[in-house]
Amino acid sequence: MTELSSIQRTWRNPLFVWDGSQEAEKLPTPTFVSHQEIWEATRASRAKLLPVGRLRYYHKWAGHGQNLWRRSRYFPTRRRVLRIRGEYNKKSLRREKTIIDKRPIWWVMGLVALALVPLLTPASLENTLLTAGVTFGIYAAINLCWMLVIGTASIFSLATYAIVGTAAFVTAYSSTMFGLPWWLLPPLGALVGVIFGGIIALPATRLDGFYYALLTLGLNELCRVYFVTSREFGSATGGLYGAATYIPQDWSSSGQLQLAYYACFAVMLLALLLYRFVNGRRLGRILRMAPEKREAFAEATGVNFRQARVRVFLISSVGLGFIGGFYSANYGGVAFSIFSFDTVLLGLAMLVIGGIGRSEGAVLGTLIVVFFDKVLITLGPARLIIIGLIMLFVVLYLRNGLFGIKQQFRSWRDKKKSERRSTRAEKGGEMLPEEATEARNVDDLYRRRYDKMQREFLKTLVKPEVIEEHRRAPQGQHSEALERLLIYFRNQPQPDKYAITALQSINGFRIVALSGHRGVAPRVVEDKIYRSPAEAYHGVFLRRVQDLLES
Amino acid sequence: MAQIKLFGYSDKISVKPGDVIQFYVNADGTERAEAQLVRLIHGDQHPAGPGFLEEEIDCSVNGAWEVEKQYTQIGSFLEVPDREGRLALNGSLTLFAFIHPLWPQVGLRQCLLGRWDNDKNCGFGLGIKQNGLLEFWVGQGDEVDYLEAEVPLQAQMWYFVAATFDAKTGRATLYQEGVTNRYNSVLGKVAPLDLRSHVAETFRFRPKHLPDTPFLMAGSRDWHAKRGNFVSQLYCGKLDRPGLFNRALRREELGRIRNGDTPPSEGMVAYWDTTHGYTDQGIGDVVTDIGPFQLHAKGYNRPVRAQTGWNWNGRNDCFRLAPQEYGGVEFHSDALIDCNWKPTKALKLPEDLRSGAYAMRLRAGPGTGLGEEYIPFFVRPKVPTGRIAFLVPTASYLAYANEHLSFDAPIVQGMTGMTPILTDIDVEMYKNPEFGHGCYDSWADGQGVCYSSYHRPVVNMRPKYRISSMDITWQYPADLSVIAWLEHQKYDYDVLTDEDLDLEGVAALKPYRCVISGTHPEYYSERMMDATEDYIEGGGRYIYLGANGYYCNVAIREDEPWVLECRKFGDTWKAWEARPGEHYMATTGQKGGPWKCLGRPPQKIMGVGFVSEGFGRSEPFYRMPDSYDPSLSWITEGIEGEIIGDFGLAYGGAAGVELDRYDLSLGTPPNAKVIASSGGHTDNYLTHVQVQLHQHPGITGSYDYRVRADMTYFPAPNDGAVFSCSSIAFGQALPANGFDNNVSRLLANVVNAFVRPEPLPEAGREAVPGAEPVAS
Repeated sequence: MTELSSIQRTWRNPLFVWDGSQEAEKLPTPTFVSHQEIWEATRASRAKLLPVGRLRYYHKWAGHGQNLWRRSRYFPTRRRVLRIRGEYNKKSLRREKTIIDKRPIWWVMGLVALALVPLLTPASLENTLLTAGVTFGIYAAINLCWMLVIGTASIFSLATYAIVGTAAFVTAYSSTMFGLPWWLLPPLGALVGVIFGGIIALPATRLDGFYYALLTLGLNELCRVYFVTSREFGSATGGLYGAATYIPQDWSSSGQLQLAYYACFAVMLLALLLYRFVNGRRLGRILRMAPEKREAFAEATGVNFRQARVRVFLISSVGLGFIGGFYSANYGGVAFSIFSFDTVLLGLAMLVIGGIGRSEGAVLGTLIVVFFDKVLITLGPARLIIIGLIMLFVVLYLRNGLFGIKQQFRSWRDKKKSERRSTRAEKGGEMLPEEATEARNVDDLYRRRYDKMQREFLKTLVKPEVIEEHRRAPQGQHSEALERLLIYFRNQPQPDKYAITALQSINGFRIVALSGHRGVAPRVVEDKIYRSPAEAYHGVFLRRVQDLLES
Repeated sequence: MAQIKLFGYSDKISVKPGDVIQFYVNADGTERAEAQLVRLIHGDQHPAGPGFLEEEIDCSVNGAWEVEKQYTQIGSFLEVPDREGRLALNGSLTLFAFIHPLWPQVGLRQCLLGRWDNDKNCGFGLGIKQNGLLEFWVGQGDEVDYLEAEVPLQAQMWYFVAATFDAKTGRATLYQEGVTNRYNSVLGKVAPLDLRSHVAETFRFRPKHLPDTPFLMAGSRDWHAKRGNFVSQLYCGKLDRPGLFNRALRREELGRIRNGDTPPSEGMVAYWDTTHGYTDQGIGDVVTDIGPFQLHAKGYNRPVRAQTGWNWNGRNDCFRLAPQEYGGVEFHSDALIDCNWKPTKALKLPEDLRSGAYAMRLRAGPGTGLGEEYIPFFVRPKVPTGRIAFLVPTASYLAYANEHLSFDAPIVQGMTGMTPILTDIDVEMYKNPEFGHGCYDSWADGQGVCYSSYHRPVVNMRPKYRISSMDITWQYPADLSVIAWLEHQKYDYDVLTDEDLDLEGVAALKPYRCVISGTHPEYYSERMMDATEDYIEGGGRYIYLGANGYYCNVAIREDEPWVLECRKFGDTWKAWEARPGEHYMATTGQKGGPWKCLGRPPQKIMGVGFVSEGFGRSEPFYRMPDSYDPSLSWITEGIEGEIIGDFGLAYGGAAGVELDRYDLSLGTPPNAKVIASSGGHTDNYLTHVQVQLHQHPGITGSYDYRVRADMTYFPAPNDGAVFSCSSIAFGQALPANGFDNNVSRLLANVVNAFVRPEPLPEAGREAVPGAEPVAS
């Protein structure tokens, strides 16, 4: 019996009879193992096979086929009304159209709803709701301009309300003292805004982030102290009132409120337009090239981000000044509370809740905060705690405000998916049903299954005798065990397949791995230098055996 | 400092003393290179041989050359010369074409046709976006208006696409419909794929044109500060019968063109009938415009003609049968026929230059590796004087030119049984598409390369080069071992090339008593086959010093001999496969593919033909009984023992790499004698598919007796004779042991006998008993 097995463990070279000098007559070799054993032994997958499928999250519209698809644009740009992606469903080949960017639809629906509010409000709530609406319109406009500074220009300025307030006070003062008509107040405010903005833009080119925020906060406080204590600006009355207003005094209070509501709504629309024109066009694009902490890269590519930032800052200061002027024209004056710290903090809460860097974030954040602050006024001081809690929740759990939820949910889901897959490591390189849904070519699924079986079989052939046989003669006639291993190794796909480079300078050889990508040079996989091709061939073989055993 | 690199090519490969040869050199990292004319003697640096040998030759241009960086336009496209600017339409227009995109989702823009300037954004164009959507655009410099289709184009499907623009209303439309049938596309009717898309949109302005923008198909004008004008947005795929109208065609009119009707004449500016101009002898590079202005388009980097068109329906397999179904012109973004560099230096060859393998050696920087370049060429005598001609298989050099097998072919390690050994030059070539490809590669879009040329640096047609996948010399550097042997034996020999044979026919061989082939003359045109056959039949004596020769039909244009066409398909081992219906060569109208499948197996001329190939190990020949025939003993005179060639620079044996075999059924002349045969080949040697009807286990070296090389000899009419060595490794066994070995001895016996004017020693006189012809 032992004799028999020792016979089996010898490979006799069929070519020895031809050429005794080159060929070995017989060599030790591992016991024969059938490659079919592994196929017969495998009766079920070791990993649990789960039912799979994907939820359809989005509505897919059918294609037009032979019908003409007329597309329209925003005049006079080349921008299409809706961005739509047409494609074939990868699984069913069905034609599908997806609206990539649904924001225009949401905007239209939201703005129409806001425009309809006064018409649908019950009389009992009219006063509360419309007053809140007026505040919302103005604050939303302010926040949109502020968002340009923080989001687009990445300047952490807290002096927004200082600009608005100063403009409001200066215009109210001019109106009361010089009797300026109401329609001159916003342009005058804009002038004040550009001067004020120009002054505080200078340090923005020198100071970064936190320090600039501190500076502007101090400036805000300085303004408050100045206006509170100066007699011209009404230190006695708690504000400056009596400025000209566009609201006819002879209208009913309901009519006055409705007019104010629509006027503030219009100001918000103007601010949205401004946001769109700054953020969505050249300036905004330049600044998107230079997000915070990556300015150096942007500068190296020739982007003058400092200039762009200052420009955005000035433009938004003009906007803020304009709003300040409108503010006095709206309320017939202005109170010191506009400079107060809680105003700044509430404004910041609006931005953070909505999400920095998007216009819809500024508007929705304002809506939420104003709703709690002005509509649920019966809750008393508790409403400020609620706002604080919402802000805390947003800061703690959301990466980019309420409007970042979708993206955050998706990446969380993908993370979970890959975590779950990585726990199912026993699959051995095979594709599990949940991965297979994403495979383009079903042939790959079988190739990986076959490969897994093949590797499990080939691992049983790796024995010292085989390695010694290869070292003896990397080329030539080989035993079945070695030949099977070599054929498997050589027939692998190109990416990361081993090759050898000849080093001309030192007359040696080194192992590299091919890229499998046209135009991409092979990468070096180890530093070892081999003295002859035969040594390098054996080095490659050893690496391949190691890769096989580790797989 | 940048790494110093030198690459070059010459305008001619076969010259005579007194001719002028032009050199083109590209240099990186240097402005000067040291030039030296050399005659090459041996090119294989294998330690068992004599090493690299060259002889420096005096000539007028030796010394320092000023060299510069050169730019290469890759990609094939059609350019329409249009001096009057008739195609610069700035009002209403319609562009249309049948298209068969090969790689619509490549992620780069591809221009199908248009008069478009990428750099200045002027003109109009119809093309494919990065994501595969068909797109029509017009530009006025500062702004561009785009209109894209609804669904992406699918690869390898035939479409009819069109774009119309109505200048009055600004309305632009896109028309995209599938024109697939049961044969012409990758998918058939049962795949539920709706290819149609019709989109309309209003543009804001009309196209503005620059005066010098060319109208291009499969590319568009671009500009770079150092390079000047060039063509980018190259297209991968086929175009069929494109056209341009100066009015917006209605949808019904486009529908009629889609159905195969001739386009209306009203408003037609140009209509390129790609099926026009086919002859029985092939087709050129000019695509005819049958519109009113005859603005014929000229191909650059040779777009592939004679390809199946949108209406090919499988019945006809050749453009000669049904030209109207062969309107396909195929473009590839990485095609390269001619680098068209600025000339660097011209040399008028000295009148007293002897025939041989020459090269202009250039060195810069370290003078080794990439800093050293040989630009090879072959010098023929003005008047043939020698008795021996060494026929350099330049056609086969072209077929293998710049092959990328080690990098791109997953099968190659399995085939050779070896791990590739790459050098700097291989990696350099892989990194830069400017080197082009050979007929063993595929273009980046996956289609096989059917054109190869030497108007570009051919890095494997250089001395010292070793083919990376096999770690031996191959073709040119291997053939230098034969030249070294001829030198060592002090034979009076001339050098000829395949190019001369193709152009001059048998007249090129006629002056020589004995012609010796290269080690692997695989690619042969019909004219070359005919000339070789006629030479032998007319009393010539031919030594086929290699294997797998006279194997594949190729075609070369007489006026552009630097380009070779090769179509691979059918009953053979092949690096790629030509599509059905595209087996005929556009150059000559002949069917391509293996000569065996065309009725001319190499056995009919040489007595032997390809049977097997393998790598890593070569074997010796063993003398066969015929060698003991007294009438043939002169061949093995002076050889002791039965084993011939158990040494060599190619895997240590004279029989290896590729092997040829005697086969009466394939036309080996029945009077052929087998002098010696090899044996004991490893299982890496497989029996070729051509010699068996079915694949089955047991067709490798240790199982199949047919895996062998047969050294054969047969006398031919008029005192001619053929001696075939049947192994590629044979030539590389010659230099072993300082040329003192039994392979060298045997070949010398044959050459000495062949160059003697008198009839060969007893050849055929001593008939085998029983084979006496019956007296009539």
